[in-house]
Amino acid sequence: MDHVGRRIAARDVTRSFVTTGRSTVHALGPVDLSIGDDEFLCVVGPSGCGKSTLLKIIAGLLAPSSGEVAVEISGDNRIPIAMVFQDYGIYPWKTVRANVELGLRLSGRPPAERREAVDDWLGRLGLTDFADVYPSALSGGMRQRVSIARALAIDPEVLLMDEPFAALDAQLREVLQDELLAIWQARRRTVVFVTHSLEEALLLGDRVVVMSARPGRVIADIDVPFERPRSSAIRTDPLFAKLRGELWSSLHSEVVAQFDAGKDPR
Amino acid sequence: MSTTLYRRPGVAELHPVRTRRRWNATKVVLGVSVPVGFVVLWQLSAVLEWVDPFLYPPPSRLIPGLVALWEDGKLVEATVTSVRRVILGYLLGAAGGLVVGLLMGMSRVLRAALEPFSWAWYTVPKLALLPIFLTIFGFGDTSVVVLIAATVYFFVWISVMSAVMAVPTGYREAALMLRANRWEMFRHVLLPAALPEIFVGLRISAGVSVLMLVGIEFVISDQGLGYLIEQGRTLLLLEQSYVGIVLVALIGYLFALLVKAIGRLFIRWTSDDNAIIPT
Repeated sequence: MDHVGRRIAARDVTRSFVTTGRSTVHALGPVDLSIGDDEFLCVVGPSGCGKSTLLKIIAGLLAPSSGEVAVEISGDNRIPIAMVFQDYGIYPWKTVRANVELGLRLSGRPPAERREAVDDWLGRLGLTDFADVYPSALSGGMRQRVSIARALAIDPEVLLMDEPFAALDAQLREVLQDELLAIWQARRRTVVFVTHSLEEALLLGDRVVVMSARPGRVIADIDVPFERPRSSAIRTDPLFAKLRGELWSSLHSEVVAQFDAGKDPR
Repeated sequence: MSTTLYRRPGVAELHPVRTRRRWNATKVVLGVSVPVGFVVLWQLSAVLEWVDPFLYPPPSRLIPGLVALWEDGKLVEATVTSVRRVILGYLLGAAGGLVVGLLMGMSRVLRAALEPFSWAWYTVPKLALLPIFLTIFGFGDTSVVVLIAATVYFFVWISVMSAVMAVPTGYREAALMLRANRWEMFRHVLLPAALPEIFVGLRISAGVSVLMLVGIEFVISDQGLGYLIEQGRTLLLLEQSYVGIVLVALIGYLFALLVKAIGRLFIRWTSDDNAIIPT
């Protein structure tokens, strides 16, 4: 994929954690990764490989133990980077509308503009009828839509998504994947999307990066050749199956390694 | 694009051990320097005569006062009496509040029956009940202990009940699916889940029990630190009052600290100093 500029550059990034027993766990890296402007990058890897850690470092929620990540931003937005969390991270004490509106409020947009943007995003994600409802009344899929609407309403330059559909059932997952695909293709921006689903990565991504078992490193980096705009119809393309097979073969041994690492050494 | 955000290791990442040590040292320094600063300011206010040092004795005059009280044994006697009363009253009240709070937290029926009545009692100032307690238990330790217990009971009851009720449905359902019975659900889910909040209540009521102690001793004026403070005031031995006040503050602090330390023994799954706040 040819992208005009480079948006995110990770260089030699590692992260270790000190556990309560004061021993050190090497969770991530070293990782070198370059993400283009308006590129949709998917990151896959065995659970516990540090994908979420990498995302949190890019987000600035967590500092790397060594190395550096540079994120290019325009400097015009108060909130240049948005994140969608796996457990939604939406607030039970705010209505759906208030949740989606929060980022716009915090960036000081006038009420009329906020209302328009929120209505637009609620409509696009099928939440219009639930605008004044509290999240506790919503299903998991609805809550995740609220979370996505909140992230997109501020029109971020970079969108970080941490296994956003992991907790959803397969059908709903496909529906939301299609929605995300359509939304992104209508208005492209840089996305880093962490998932453990290879199909999801191939469907959504311009590029898929495969990470190793802990400590996670980049072990494969493939361009996804399907034309944009895509639809979920590409799932039936023979090339889709072939690419999935390739990804899985590079990932398989890592998944087993991560699994074995947690077993009794005897 | 005009700006670049850099994500780089901070001091905490580059030197984790040193950072933790430094923070531990900083915590002690900050915790000590505020009270020390207070004492210095207090002394200065007397030395520079911002206030009348006779009516507001400075810390330096408390030392002779302390020595005098120590030498005639009044200090030790008062402290021992007060500590005994407050500990007994607290234990009694906390145990009662804990049991009733847990039961009411788990039972809708008990809540429906007892909540309105209990809330009404909670708002009655317990000092107003002192005459009744004096009639029942006589003039002395028992009345003080029971009155402290009655006060602590309500604080603990409320915090324990609300802590149990706030345990999320997800935890309860998971336990139900493991075929946990009432007792097992309580033992493995409700009690541990509620424990952090319960200990907040226990710490608050540790402070309240000392508050109550001094109030009662003020009124019945027989023994203890409250009596010492009151006596100092009436006899214009203000140093004695101030020594008493400082001692009460110290006891209250150590008491709350003790409760917190006991809480840490039970609550090992959370660390208490990791709340994220924007810098």
